[in-house]
Amino acid sequence: MNASNKKILVIGGGMSGLTAALEAAETGAQVVVVEKSPYLGGRVAQLNKYFPKLCPPTCGLEINFKRIKNNPDITFYTMTDVTQITGQAGDFNVTLNVRPRYVNDKCVACNKCAEVCPVERVNDFNYGLDNNKAAYLPFDMAFPYQYVIDMSVCLGEACKKCVKACEYNAIELDMAPQTVNLNVGAIVVAGGWNLYDATKIDNLGFGQVANVITNMQMERLAAPNGPTGGKIQRPSDGAEPKSVAFVQCAGSRDENHLPYCSYICCMASLKQATYLLDQDPEAQATIFYIDIRTPGRYEQFYWKVRDRENVELVRGKVAKITQAPGDKVEVVAEDTATGNKVRRVFDLVVLAAGMEPSTKSDKIPLAVKYTDEGFIDPTGLPAGIFAVGSMKSPLDVAKSVQDGTGAAIKALQSLVGR
Amino acid sequence: MADETVIKSDLAFVKRLQECGGESLKKCYQCATCSVVCNISPDDKPYPRKEMLMAQWGLKDQIVKDPDIWACHYCGDCTTYCPRGANPGEVLGAMRQATIEHYSFPTQLARMVSQPKFLPVLLALPVLVILFVMKLTGTLGNIPAGTIKYSNMVPLLAIDAIFMAAAGFAVFVFVNGVRRYWKDLNADVSPWKAKLSDKSVISATIEVLKEFIVHKRFKECVTNYARATSHLLLVLGFIALAIVTAWSAYYEWASKFGLIPHKESPFSITEPIKWVALLGTILLLYGIYLIYQQRQAKANGAGFGGYFDWLLIWVIVAVGVTGALSWILRLANLASLAYPMYFLHLVSVFFLFFYAPYTKMAHLVYRTTALVFAKMQGRE
Repeated sequence: MNASNKKILVIGGGMSGLTAALEAAETGAQVVVVEKSPYLGGRVAQLNKYFPKLCPPTCGLEINFKRIKNNPDITFYTMTDVTQITGQAGDFNVTLNVRPRYVNDKCVACNKCAEVCPVERVNDFNYGLDNNKAAYLPFDMAFPYQYVIDMSVCLGEACKKCVKACEYNAIELDMAPQTVNLNVGAIVVAGGWNLYDATKIDNLGFGQVANVITNMQMERLAAPNGPTGGKIQRPSDGAEPKSVAFVQCAGSRDENHLPYCSYICCMASLKQATYLLDQDPEAQATIFYIDIRTPGRYEQFYWKVRDRENVELVRGKVAKITQAPGDKVEVVAEDTATGNKVRRVFDLVVLAAGMEPSTKSDKIPLAVKYTDEGFIDPTGLPAGIFAVGSMKSPLDVAKSVQDGTGAAIKALQSLVGR
Repeated sequence: MADETVIKSDLAFVKRLQECGGESLKKCYQCATCSVVCNISPDDKPYPRKEMLMAQWGLKDQIVKDPDIWACHYCGDCTTYCPRGANPGEVLGAMRQATIEHYSFPTQLARMVSQPKFLPVLLALPVLVILFVMKLTGTLGNIPAGTIKYSNMVPLLAIDAIFMAAAGFAVFVFVNGVRRYWKDLNADVSPWKAKLSDKSVISATIEVLKEFIVHKRFKECVTNYARATSHLLLVLGFIALAIVTAWSAYYEWASKFGLIPHKESPFSITEPIKWVALLGTILLLYGIYLIYQQRQAKANGAGFGGYFDWLLIWVIVAVGVTGALSWILRLANLASLAYPMYFLHLVSVFFLFFYAPYTKMAHLVYRTTALVFAKMQGRE
């Protein structure tokens, strides 16, 4: 490609960002990917299975990681924030702050550092379901395949056990943050989403009532690389649940929380009902809903799961969740089909929490127009800057990939136009 | 088909509910969060989700005879948690207003009471009645100077005549309305299947009144919990003042028939009747002040209410404030202020009594009737 030697900056190394980066780079463009966490792959890396095919996302991720490795036109920075963007289309000056990983490229992921590390941290990758060491590998197929040290809990110089244990001199506890300046022609904003903080929904008991978890925690429980090795267990005692309630619209479609439909939660709960029944065909999955929203061709997935034995759908929103004896959970809803309140006790309750754009908490350093809900309004973006995926609206992985591809084309066009 | 249901949709009624503070009713998407977060709604056919559907469909016939709208105490928990801003609490308030309108006769008068533009006309009635009575008794522009004595302005007998007439009218309208309401309640199967309990009207009424006097249901509110206390203070204030009224009527009439020695009002501060009067006034004023404050604090949230609610609040404020000021101005011997203040007091009390069947005051009667009916049906 000879259109321009200008680079494309992709902010965010999740599925949308990686797709945009790879599609652009594979036409010969120079691409820089900036990711704030220590690994690439974003939320997809935390999923157990994709809907509707129910295949693991690991193979797709692996292919993408391989494409990055094999492509000299892509460079990426993890643990990095974009702190400043100036200039205009074709000539943006970007400042990056690369936070120290405290582990250098010599790391072979032998796990010696973690073995000797005396302190633990809440494992955010598993949504707090377990702890890992301050020296840790984010997950088993993290890319880059490299440990990281959580300095917020690390004992530092006073301990240094990992430094001594590492045979490869990979640990540098004095690693300093770095500032990187880039000049790029176009920017793709792919900041992704965070799970809505379910503790804010005070009537649903999350964080108060034992064995009330979120849908993303359910993904981690069911994932083979999760905290339980893929066994769905109650957090309180490790028992395998015989009955699970799925509470739809936990925060979504609610003016007091997320005033929009998060698009994926109905499919996610239907999918997770299959996790439960695949583990234990005798178990009972009950989905409480306002409307089952399975857009487009997903309708057939809904029919398939709905018609399975031991799947029950109750039309009525759960609006009260309390602890029942034996660490069980009581949910209350009005079954609007019968017009009576139902009080049912379950072993485990999964809140179908919604998507919040990451820009709600982390604004990008640009004069961007946001919608009332915190999404980027694509019509208000400056020339040369493109938003993808869940920056604009809640969506699924398939649509993120399509959107990423579209953004790659738009970024390339904008470079050619200069 | 034998079990065919004919839906009679009354679009004008939907509009009426929207005018009465239920403008958000169409936003409801029937998720039933409201029925669940409501602490006083039963498990069997709970409210207010079903009422929201009735409202959207304009099922006037069902709404006006649905006792559940009176079981609702306007706590506002439903409105607080409603994900759509459909404000079920305010919609049920609108339903109660519409029910009062439906059962009060003449309906036109009820419509006037619910609209601010008719307030001057409604106020003109007591003003003219009292002026007319003063003209008849010859006190108009002819109040003797000297120690202030309100019976110099309107003699006690005339007061009795005016207020017996006003109260008699209200009772007549109430009896008429409740008779029709009771007939409707019993004629139709309510939204929930009635379990017949063997409670009589009397025992059910006693149970309901017992619950009222401690505000049992009201205290289960979360969002507007404090309102139970202020409402109770107000009710106790009313009860105390009713006792005072009966007491002074006894003094007046019993002495007329020679049963007791004559006792001249105004009563001295050393008399127990005055203590009860003062206590009642304080409870009433403090209760209504708290209600005012609590509603103002909710100006943008659940429980502010509309003109229908505020009309009653202001009438009660007027009764309390003019009553207290009449007393103070009389003690201060400021005749030029005291007599006009007493005039205003009479106007506001007349307003409260005479229009009671059409204002929110009527909730006292319809709520009691609905809850007695529900009790008799075994619905808790």
